[in-house]
Amino acid sequence: MRAKDINYQAILGVVLGILVILFGVLEPVFFYPDVLFDVTAIIGEIGIMALAMTFIITTGGIDLSVGYMLQLSGIVFGAVFAGSGSVPLAVLSALATGTACGLFNGLVIAGTKIPPLVTTLATMNLYRGLSFIIAGTNSYSGFPEGFKRLSTTLLFDTVPISFVYLLILFLLFNLFYTRGSLGKQLKGIGFNERALVFSGIKTKRILVLIYSLSGVMSALASLVYLGRLSAARTSMGNDLNLQVITAVVLGGTSTMGGVGSVAGTFLGVLIIGVLRKGYTLINFSGNIFNFTLGVLLIAALIVFAVLERKRSGKKKSC
Amino acid sequence: MNMKRYLTRETMLGAIVVAFMVFLSITTHFNSKSGFFSLMLDISPTMIGALALSVVIITGNIDISAGTIMGFVAFVAGILSKADLPPVVFMGAALLTGMLLAGLNGWISVTFKVPSIVVTLAMNMVHLGFYATFLPNSGWVENLESNFTWLGRGRFFDVVPYIFVVAVAVAAVLIFMMKYTRFGKSLYAVGGNRQAAIYAGINPDQTVIKVYLLEGLLLGVAGLLKATTANEIMPSSFQGREMVFIAAAVVGGINIMGGSGKLLGTLFGAVLVYLLSITMIYMGFQDYYQFALQGAIILVAVFVTVTDFHVLRKRAARLIGRLGDGGRRA
Repeated sequence: MRAKDINYQAILGVVLGILVILFGVLEPVFFYPDVLFDVTAIIGEIGIMALAMTFIITTGGIDLSVGYMLQLSGIVFGAVFAGSGSVPLAVLSALATGTACGLFNGLVIAGTKIPPLVTTLATMNLYRGLSFIIAGTNSYSGFPEGFKRLSTTLLFDTVPISFVYLLILFLLFNLFYTRGSLGKQLKGIGFNERALVFSGIKTKRILVLIYSLSGVMSALASLVYLGRLSAARTSMGNDLNLQVITAVVLGGTSTMGGVGSVAGTFLGVLIIGVLRKGYTLINFSGNIFNFTLGVLLIAALIVFAVLERKRSGKKKSC
Repeated sequence: MNMKRYLTRETMLGAIVVAFMVFLSITTHFNSKSGFFSLMLDISPTMIGALALSVVIITGNIDISAGTIMGFVAFVAGILSKADLPPVVFMGAALLTGMLLAGLNGWISVTFKVPSIVVTLAMNMVHLGFYATFLPNSGWVENLESNFTWLGRGRFFDVVPYIFVVAVAVAAVLIFMMKYTRFGKSLYAVGGNRQAAIYAGINPDQTVIKVYLLEGLLLGVAGLLKATTANEIMPSSFQGREMVFIAAAVVGGINIMGGSGKLLGTLFGAVLVYLLSITMIYMGFQDYYQFALQGAIILVAVFVTVTDFHVLRKRAARLIGRLGDGGRRA
């Protein structure tokens, strides 16, 4: 099984390489170092959210509200900053908002019998509505340079600091996923939650924890995103759900739960970043990008299902 | 006479709908010819769309791309009617489009054993991208003639829109089908207990594909009913309709986990969701409160259907008891 995992990730690596070369051939500018490093800048927010999403999808759940938790946190940041003029206060309120949203998701999912997909489908509209109610058609901008520099500084004039944040978070999440007991428990919930309950593990606490984590990550992502965008408005984050889920599924985490890989998610995020940058360079619109993502997600689901079937042989299960 | 037989969820929903309407008639201008006309005009597509989602949800699946499928349906109908084809042809083609797209969702979900939520979420994006990238004018069709709009604009006795009659007829056929045919029963069986359905001789995979085809057909009808009320079509404007349909279905008592719920409830649910949203408008709330409202409605309605209140009541009683004796037992 271990070898199979590496195989799948090798395939992803090859796909990534082919994409880079393809865009490089189509538009030689792509090979310039600052363009390549720009790819690492634009994946900041989806990468951060995809890490928590990997945990959630491993348990067989899903969080459709991530894009809108980012939106609401961003709007709250903007509104508090516009009201008080204090960046630390605004950052704290954004983080509190994201945490509260995630906690609410987690409490509903763990505390009632409502499945994660329906819960987050509903809360996604709830959070979206809330950010509209707060902001209306306003947009908040004029954030101080110091705040923007927190996520846009280039280390050694090349590496965006948001990528460094992403790397640190990635290492942390990967550590928890592969080494500690948490990763095993997540996979266990994905395979058979009842079995874990009977062996004395408090699965509900784990669920509340990971959905809250997803909220915290969305708030962090919104801060990184705002540093780059420099204006908070209600259109931010609209397409991000699909990008995050695509990155995770592309990385080999099964939507049926129980199987996953944080490293794969990281590769998935990189592929999405390369696609987005490449499309911008060859003048493809955002619509074509979304179309490609949709097709890519379905293709990844199918490839993964076929691989899974081969692995489990002819054994038929229901 | 057995009172319990009549005290069902559906009668309660019906009573709430009537009470709501009375309330609106007293407090607003709702009680007028134009008020009822626009009520019937607006709820007809929603009713059929909600029924489409209901049959899918009963089998334990879902379709997030329902809105964008309706967009395709409307586009096909509009563009073919511009080519001066007779209504039978463009409407047939539109229904077929709905069945094909929804059938594809079902086929992928069943064949590769992937959750329908993820497939249809991706399809939603594929459809939207397809409109903008491949359709002429992003799928915008304008200046439609009366050979297209006769259905949506016609009315009987100057009050009852044609489309309302169509919607009620389709709903009646569907309710009959769910109640009295083998296929209708098999949907509940697959959604309720897949393994038991297999032992009962039902092929769940085939049933799910069939239900998606049925859903596509219904979405085709809903798309036509909605599109023919205007003389221009913007496919992307249909995105997000599925949220209203899901809200209507769960308010109507369709269990989101599959296996139970009645279509009559869905019809009342559709009316109720519509009444709630126009009440918000009457009360002067902005349009964008709708998002929050839909989200809240879905959460509350699903909570009520999936929660076992006996257990909850016992647990609450135990909690109160524990507080009562000062936590000595804890």
